[in-house]
Amino acid sequence: MSYKERSIWGSLAALIYIWFDYFSGMNQLYGAQSLTIDSINELLLDAVIMTIVIEVLLQIVVAIIDHKDANYDEDERDKLITLHGCNNAYYFLLVGAHLAVFYIVFPTLSSYIFPFIDLPNGYFVLHLIIVFTLLSEIIRLATQIRYYRRGF
Amino acid sequence: MAKVISNNIRRLRFDHDEMTQKMLADTIRVSRQTVVAIEKGKYSPSLEVAFKIADVFNTSLDKVFQYQETAE
Repeated sequence: MSYKERSIWGSLAALIYIWFDYFSGMNQLYGAQSLTIDSINELLLDAVIMTIVIEVLLQIVVAIIDHKDANYDEDERDKLITLHGCNNAYYFLLVGAHLAVFYIVFPTLSSYIFPFIDLPNGYFVLHLIIVFTLLSEIIRLATQIRYYRRGF
Repeated sequence: MAKVISNNIRRLRFDHDEMTQKMLADTIRVSRQTVVAIEKGKYSPSLEVAFKIADVFNTSLDKVFQYQETAE
């Protein structure tokens, strides 16, 4: 497994762990009927800090494990694989952006479609963007892993 | 019948003092995994990398890469 692939696997695992933790935290607060703006902000701040800390630690660990290739620059195949990952993620992000716009432009109509979440408008749009950004990121990393595993 | 790109890199490496994939990769400035992918036919390199490979083996491009019909 190459340095780049190892790094992508780590990022994917960290991403899923951190944001699963965030949404399960929200779910618990929702179940306990204590989901407030302050508690969401706190969870959000935790997730952002954890993302930065875990990602930095992860890259250090990968560099220690694979120290020979730690300074390795991307070659043309890496760049193509990255490009394909971004391309696939873009379409999904576009859907998220359209949904957020739809929600802002048609708030009444949207309340029929998303009746199960009782959040202020701004926070709902924020979470819509978070969810689609997160899923896009997963698609980007998963696409890259797929190309590294199955060949390109 | 479909045409595919095949290559003789493995044999050429063997003929050049059993050059390792890592040595070839370092010379043409790509990762070893990229050399593995090229050898297996899973990745078609850019023209620049293809020429670099031919240059390493001091041969012409058509001796390294072939565009031919599959046996199927």
